[in-house]
Amino acid sequence: MKKIRKIIGLFAAIVILAACQKDLLDTAPYGSISSGNMWQSENLADLGVLGVYSALRFDYTGLNRLYFDELSFTAQNRDPEENVLMVTGTITSSHPLFTNYWKQNYEGIHRANDALANLPEKAPLPEEKRGRLIAEVKFLRALFYFNLNMVYKGVPVYLEPVAPDQANRARETEAKVWEVIINDLTDAITEPNLPNMYQPGDANFGRATKAAAYALRGKAYLWMKDYARAEADLRKVGTLGPELYQGPYERLFKEENEQHPEMIFSVQNIGLDGYGSYTQKWLSSRVAYGSGWNVVMPAPDFVESFENADGTPFNWDDYLPGYTTMTPEQRVVFFLRDGLTNEEKAYFTDLGADMSKYLDVGNEARIKQVYDNRDPRLKATIITPYSQYFGYLGGEEATFTLRWPYRTDQDPERDLRTDTNNKFYYLWRKWVYEGGNETPDAWYCPTDQPLIRYADVLLMLAEAINEQRGGDAEAVNLVNTVRQRAGMPDISGVSGQADLRERIRNERRWELSMEGINLFDEMRWGTWKDKKFYSGNGTKQIWGGQNTFNYNWKGDYLYTWPIPRDEVERNSNLQQTPGWIE
Amino acid sequence: MKLSALLITGMMYVMSYAQTYDIQGQVTDKTGNPLPGVNVVVKGTSQGTITDTEGHFKIANVSPSTVLVFSFVGMKTTEVPVGNQTTINIVLEEELMGMEEVVVIGYGVQKKVNLTGSVSSVNFGDLADQRPMTNVSSALAGLSSGVVVLQSNGNPGKDGATILVRGLGTLNNNNPLVIIDGMEGSLDAVNPNDIESISILKDAASAAIYGSRAANGVILVTTKKGKKDRMNVIYNGNYSFSSPTHLMEFVNDYATHMKLMNESARNIESAEPFTQATIDAWLNAKKNPNALNANGVPNRIAFPNTDWVKEIYQKNIVQDHILSLDGGTEKSTFLLSFGYLDNPGLVDRTGIKRYTLRANLETNVNNWLTIGTRTWGFTQEKDLGNYDTALEYLFQTTPGLVSEYNGKYGFPEAPGESYYANNIAAILNNTLGLDRSSYFNTTLFSKVKILKGLSWDFNFNFARQFDEGTATTNGDVYERIKFSTGEVMAPKWVPSELYTSRRTSSNRGYTLENLLRYSATLADVHNLDVLLGYNEQYYYEYYHTGMKKGLIDKTINTFNSATQMIEIRGDANDWALRSWFGRFNYVFDQKYLFEANFRYDGSSRFDPSKRWGLFPSFSAGWRISQESFMQNIDFINNLKIRASWGKLGNNATMRDGRIDNYAYQATYGITRYSLNGLQVPGLAPSMIANKNLTWESTTVSNLGIDVSFLRDRLFAEIDLYNKLTNGILTVPPIYLTLGMVDPPIRNTAEVLNKGIEILGGWRDKTGDFSYSVSGNIAFNKNMITKFKGKLIREWRDGEYYTNLGDVSDVDWFYYLRRLEDHIINEYYLLDVYKGDGTYFNSDGSVKVKGGPKDGMIRTQKDLEWIQAMTAAGYTFLPNENISKQGIWYGDLIYADNNGDGVFGNTYDYDFRNYSPMPKITFGAQISLKWKNFDMNMVFAGNAGYKLYWLERGYNFTNTRIGFQLGKMIENDHYYFNESNPSDPDNNTTAKYPRLKLQYDDPQNIQPSTYWLHDASFVKLKNLSVGYTLPLSISKKLYTERLRIYFSAVNLFTITSFPGPDPEIGMHTNYPIMRQIAFGANITF
Repeated sequence: MKKIRKIIGLFAAIVILAACQKDLLDTAPYGSISSGNMWQSENLADLGVLGVYSALRFDYTGLNRLYFDELSFTAQNRDPEENVLMVTGTITSSHPLFTNYWKQNYEGIHRANDALANLPEKAPLPEEKRGRLIAEVKFLRALFYFNLNMVYKGVPVYLEPVAPDQANRARETEAKVWEVIINDLTDAITEPNLPNMYQPGDANFGRATKAAAYALRGKAYLWMKDYARAEADLRKVGTLGPELYQGPYERLFKEENEQHPEMIFSVQNIGLDGYGSYTQKWLSSRVAYGSGWNVVMPAPDFVESFENADGTPFNWDDYLPGYTTMTPEQRVVFFLRDGLTNEEKAYFTDLGADMSKYLDVGNEARIKQVYDNRDPRLKATIITPYSQYFGYLGGEEATFTLRWPYRTDQDPERDLRTDTNNKFYYLWRKWVYEGGNETPDAWYCPTDQPLIRYADVLLMLAEAINEQRGGDAEAVNLVNTVRQRAGMPDISGVSGQADLRERIRNERRWELSMEGINLFDEMRWGTWKDKKFYSGNGTKQIWGGQNTFNYNWKGDYLYTWPIPRDEVERNSNLQQTPGWIE
Repeated sequence: MKLSALLITGMMYVMSYAQTYDIQGQVTDKTGNPLPGVNVVVKGTSQGTITDTEGHFKIANVSPSTVLVFSFVGMKTTEVPVGNQTTINIVLEEELMGMEEVVVIGYGVQKKVNLTGSVSSVNFGDLADQRPMTNVSSALAGLSSGVVVLQSNGNPGKDGATILVRGLGTLNNNNPLVIIDGMEGSLDAVNPNDIESISILKDAASAAIYGSRAANGVILVTTKKGKKDRMNVIYNGNYSFSSPTHLMEFVNDYATHMKLMNESARNIESAEPFTQATIDAWLNAKKNPNALNANGVPNRIAFPNTDWVKEIYQKNIVQDHILSLDGGTEKSTFLLSFGYLDNPGLVDRTGIKRYTLRANLETNVNNWLTIGTRTWGFTQEKDLGNYDTALEYLFQTTPGLVSEYNGKYGFPEAPGESYYANNIAAILNNTLGLDRSSYFNTTLFSKVKILKGLSWDFNFNFARQFDEGTATTNGDVYERIKFSTGEVMAPKWVPSELYTSRRTSSNRGYTLENLLRYSATLADVHNLDVLLGYNEQYYYEYYHTGMKKGLIDKTINTFNSATQMIEIRGDANDWALRSWFGRFNYVFDQKYLFEANFRYDGSSRFDPSKRWGLFPSFSAGWRISQESFMQNIDFINNLKIRASWGKLGNNATMRDGRIDNYAYQATYGITRYSLNGLQVPGLAPSMIANKNLTWESTTVSNLGIDVSFLRDRLFAEIDLYNKLTNGILTVPPIYLTLGMVDPPIRNTAEVLNKGIEILGGWRDKTGDFSYSVSGNIAFNKNMITKFKGKLIREWRDGEYYTNLGDVSDVDWFYYLRRLEDHIINEYYLLDVYKGDGTYFNSDGSVKVKGGPKDGMIRTQKDLEWIQAMTAAGYTFLPNENISKQGIWYGDLIYADNNGDGVFGNTYDYDFRNYSPMPKITFGAQISLKWKNFDMNMVFAGNAGYKLYWLERGYNFTNTRIGFQLGKMIENDHYYFNESNPSDPDNNTTAKYPRLKLQYDDPQNIQPSTYWLHDASFVKLKNLSVGYTLPLSISKKLYTERLRIYFSAVNLFTITSFPGPDPEIGMHTNYPIMRQIAFGANITF
């Protein structure tokens, strides 16, 4: 009995001791750093700055800006969904596009503000590094404000950390925000420790540089229509090390060239989950490695805009006499594959194709020449009918051909299969990986996504010069520099400022398609409405005609995006963009 | 130590000097039938026996001062002083009302008549005998007033119901606290057959002893124990035939599907996707389904008309078996049980198999020490049938492909069909592997009697769950065949493309508890119970997952054998809680009842300065029927009024449906980036912390009355309550300008629930026939009483002003809002436009209040009206333009509620006084017993609520090539062929809008009252009929008791809701099972 009592006594003592663990309630997260410790060491300061860079991985700060082409001249989306409501004319201010664009860029801004508040004093850093990091963060902050100001034309400005309930400032004017951007970029440019460029293979490759800062400031001046300053900055970029890649245009967008001196500033990608792009999923086809969805596709208007190889304008009738006077349904005949079965012929006759023009042999060759004799960038950028694509299917690499109508992706045909096989669309070649080894996965592709490259800078410089000195020979030369790399003859017969302006614009469309630049160019030029929303336009098949869906221009107010509806409701200091109905 | 030693010595002295002799006798009922199995115990000891089959008993060594206690289920417990008798024959009277009924309450039990709080108690042991149960929570429906039980998913293993006690008290976690044998746990982890009883503590007085986290009510589960002095082997089991209660249908005749797709293209002037030749081919093939096509393939395969719902959902047989062994000696009792549940589910490869074990042991080591354990666990295996993905894609396919034929998966057959029409059967099978959960829970306890009336309980509980999963791509399902030609349209995935992943997650926790209890009766009229306790809890969980790609063979999937690293992830989480609590209970003369509770809780989820919360409660009762002036009123047997007030807490810091354990601490989380082709980590603030975060508290006042009349045959309980929750822990949206950072969790709104609960019934017995009928109903009114301010909507200088975004929050579903003076998550919707049916004024100008009466442009007049309105400057959102591609015949238009001339803009939304939560909950039970037959029925239902139902593939009229169409819109959608007003397909009086081959066109799918439906329903949750074999027969089968039964679960539902089972909610999900079961309860 006594023994048991003792045991119980001992047990009770243990129990009471165990119960007195003082820190039982002081739990802390297992996977993060407490804010009190942040910025207190060189390592943490480095990580904090990389945290600002990683804000480039959001859709609308950097990573997926290229898909904005679907809203513009160069591309089209296969379905009238999500952001495409912008062009179908039913988008409202509560659409996630506006909300996310706003939030993501402000996220980058707040991260930058936090870094800029702590880097100067709290972080123990060597002075040269401190200066460089501050300059990098200012560049990034300028980039985020740049993204915002291009579309919202004036937004609230925060340049220091802000308490959650204080984030209710009113909009600054568009000019004021440009000023903020110019200030940050000027600070970055004047920082002596910010390198001009990084050599390929440098451990810091991917960070902001002086070349990037000058290029972005030049672009800002272009938006501000301050062409003289734009010219000076853009001219400066060329002295800092960038150069045009001189290989074939299509190789420029491969991983091997992502560090070429043409790439001035890129969103860094690698082939690891969460670190790459998903161009392969979005742009490629079912016979590409990772089985893509061809969500965004080249717009037929864009394809038709490419010049002939000799620099003359393209016209369908030159290749297929009578094409433009036929109905779109009749034109289908030109795109059909050789050797149609009788059933297939009957089917297309039913659909209204002018089968009298069908050639059992040679139908493919006839349409192929339409694309073969063009600006080489066309075939480098786009998979055109009866051209080949080196893809991957069923565990092996194979070459596929884009044919109409689709039969099978197996031998012997090896037709290029898409998610839209019941329609005949152009497909992107640019950004689409070939074979089975170029990307580890369709959801994390390794190639860096340029936000600024030298060809863009050269064409902006041409624009800045032409706007000041219409038709200037130097501007023409700059355009020709870009054309020569592409394998196109020089432009000739420039008739003045307006003509050169149009040529520069076209050159930008051909050169910079699917890089997230075209939409903002068209908005800046005020050409978006005419180029995208002309009556009858829509997402369409190669031969045009009845659209998959139509585009609708609801009014010029579309040029300035609305502040997200929720934010206008929450922050009564914000005035909604005029024209947007709530 | 000294004192209790003295006490023990004293007791031994008394016992050894007493004079003893033996007693025998017989126990019978009123009609003279012997009662076997009656418990006969010497009062105050554990000495006792059980009557034999003839009702005889025998007890040795009793003294004249002994009192014998006779107890038997359904009979009044009777005490007989022995005196000098050696033979005691007694007649036990039936207990009608259960005056001595004992109810499990927090940290103890209490006689029901002495309760001052509001407690519902369910005799779960009986219930589990009567019907198949795949889980505990859904079986509670209809059984107690004020408790909403909604089973929204029938997927085995995820089929637990949501339980709400007295409405939605808060904006965050509303789940009641579940206590299993004194320890926090999960209701559905317990084997239903192991449960003896369940108590639901509804008001603050009864729940406050659990202070923290008791704000949403407490569910107390008590498991069975062994019974002394006998041993039983009990088998309960059943087989049930299960089928879905409700299924939605799609158009499955492919020719019709194609026709409708063409119609939807025509409607918006788009090209028809299917040619008439294709449609005709299907029509012809259907006439000769077994004829062979040119390639020797039967027409039914070459020209498919697949009904995907039939392909996916199947009937099955659920088995449930439990074997238990219980018994004991004078000093010890035990209960061992083993259970097996095999629920194959209604969808291929989604079933579970579950094995449960339990050992409840208790022993009196000596007269002052009792020790024991309650140890239990389960292991569960779930197949990886990819139901969630299959459901997501179920409408993203068409009838135009074969699901499976000769073991291969089909591909769309028709030209014009989308090549990405999914094969749902393939999706369901695209992952191989298994999920296994193992759970172990043990409590060791001791009870020490220190002094008379004073005891110390020590309980230690340890629980651990370990989940492991493997998943490997089933590459074979990616092969798709166009059966009409035999072409392989997509190949199998080769091993190098297959992924394999592993997941392990585990949690562990302990609870340590010390309780001091003291009870005393002073001067015979003062009953005193005091409890003091200490409790601490710690919980830790982690997960690890890994994924690799590239196998050497499709059958080999270990990580070592896979080639390419994809990812490894893992995280961990913990929380702790420390509490002191106490209770003081005082009863005077069985008439006046008083109780006070307190609990002082500290939670690791709050900053040290905000960590502690005090939760007190007080309650009182008056048993009027015990008063002398009531003694002459015969027809009232029991009358008690009760009142209580108390405060409860909640520390559920929820964010996105999950608890954030560290919301008060500001942290920087890891971000991803790379430089020069190498990954580099970054750090960025991941959320805004709130140092001031503290307990959410709920104050409940309760007023109750219990009555019974006419020899306890008629009884009723009525409760009125007022439940005010403030400082609700929620995540109010922050300025979007703050970026992507997670908003802080804050103590925000105040919510009031007011309600009344009524429970009543009648029970009686005449001869061999006994019956009872009871019902319960509860009305609850929910309102946010304080939030971010009042809503202002008004015209200011010609501009319409609203502060809606400032003062209200949007729920996950954007059409549910929270605003002061409104129901939590109230519907916030547009109205469809309702004109007066006239069109133009006599001067030819358009009548602004005219136009279509029911919201849809149906006639030429309607169209002319809207054209004239648009010409007059009015705007109709969202499409604005009046054209076939915009607003046309068969489109809905919306009301201009604020009068700004824009019809259907953001200012025209309004609150609807309804939420998806029922205002009225009710249930009814009927049980009948005649001789050896018994029958039970349970009805349950909810009323006073609406569900917004607009779901792709079911009642959605925007179409897309490759997507299904709901059967319900096939014949009831608007169609008007303008070129042929007598087209037989014209249907201008249809309910649903016109079809549009434009999937995201918002015109007809704006959140409007058009899609809001009354969801009230009543279900026959259970009907069971049983027959107990006469003793003479069951004896021959070597059993003591043998009952066989038939039972039906969810037999029928009465509702006007057009969508899926209203219990499931606003979206189609895994259907709930209807079960028809045959089973047996056998005691050996």
